[in-house]
Amino acid sequence: MSAPAASLGIQNIGQISIIVHDLPRATAFYRDTLGLPLLFTAGNMAFFDCGGVRLMLGPASSPELDHPSSILYFRVPDINAAHRRLMEMGVKIEAPPRLIAPMKTYDLWMLAFRDPQGNIMELMSEVPRLL
Amino acid sequence: MSTQNDTALTRIGQIAINAHDVDRATAFYRDVLGLPHLFRAGQLSFFDCGGVRLMLDKAEKPEFDHPSSILYFQVGNIRAAHQRIKDAGAKFEDEPHVIAQMPKYDLWMTFFRDSENNLLALMSEVPRPL
Repeated sequence: MSAPAASLGIQNIGQISIIVHDLPRATAFYRDTLGLPLLFTAGNMAFFDCGGVRLMLGPASSPELDHPSSILYFRVPDINAAHRRLMEMGVKIEAPPRLIAPMKTYDLWMLAFRDPQGNIMELMSEVPRLL
Repeated sequence: MSTQNDTALTRIGQIAINAHDVDRATAFYRDVLGLPHLFRAGQLSFFDCGGVRLMLDKAEKPEFDHPSSILYFQVGNIRAAHQRIKDAGAKFEDEPHVIAQMPKYDLWMTFFRDSENNLLALMSEVPRPL
C-alpha cells in the first residue's frame, strides 16, 4: 500500500450508514428529537440530511455489520441550549457539556448522549474565546 | 429558553473511526485515500474530508471497540478511484456498480476495506443522458 493517491478525487463524505434494529423508533428520534430533515424512506431504510451528508438508517445486511455506529459529532451553535433540550426530551446523557480542548481562538466543547439504539453520539461546539 | 435555532444540528463536524494500529491507519488514509492529514495528538490522528474531520483512535473501552460505520466517500470518477485504491493494495468487496437509478443520475457504489478492516464505500452520482 504505497502508491500515492492524491488524485483519487475524494470530495467529501456523501453518506454514513447507521444500523438500527427498530426503524420507527430511530426515525422518530433522528427526526423529532435531533430535528434532522427526513429525506425519504425506502423499504426498511430511512434517509436523513445533516448539512449535506446523508444519514442512512437501516438494518445490517450481514451479521458482521451488525455493530454500533461510529461516533458522529454533530455541530451545534449553542451546546448548553442543546443540552437542555435533549434533557427535556428525555435523552440519555452520557457526559454533560465539557471543555475538550482549548484551541488558539476558540474552546472546543462536547457533550455525549445515546440514541435509542444505544449508539454514542456527541454534540460539539466551537466557542470563540475572548482575547 | 432554547430556540430551534441554537439547538439545531447544523452539520457533522467529526467522525470517530476505530483503528487498532493508528500509524498503519494514518498511512492508509493519507497515502491510499489521499486525504489531507491535519495533525496528530498522541494516539489520535486527524484528517480532513471535505470539511468533516475524521478522527482515528484506539478504542478506549471494549464497548467502543467495534468497526466503523460505513462511510461513503464521494468521488468524481468511481472507476478510476476504484482502480487506484486497488493498485495501492486495498481489498475490495465488489466492483463499481449501479445501486440506484435516480431521476437524473445513476448512483454508483463500490465497497472496500481500510487497513483496520473497516468496511468503507466509494459513491458517485453519474448524470444520465435524457
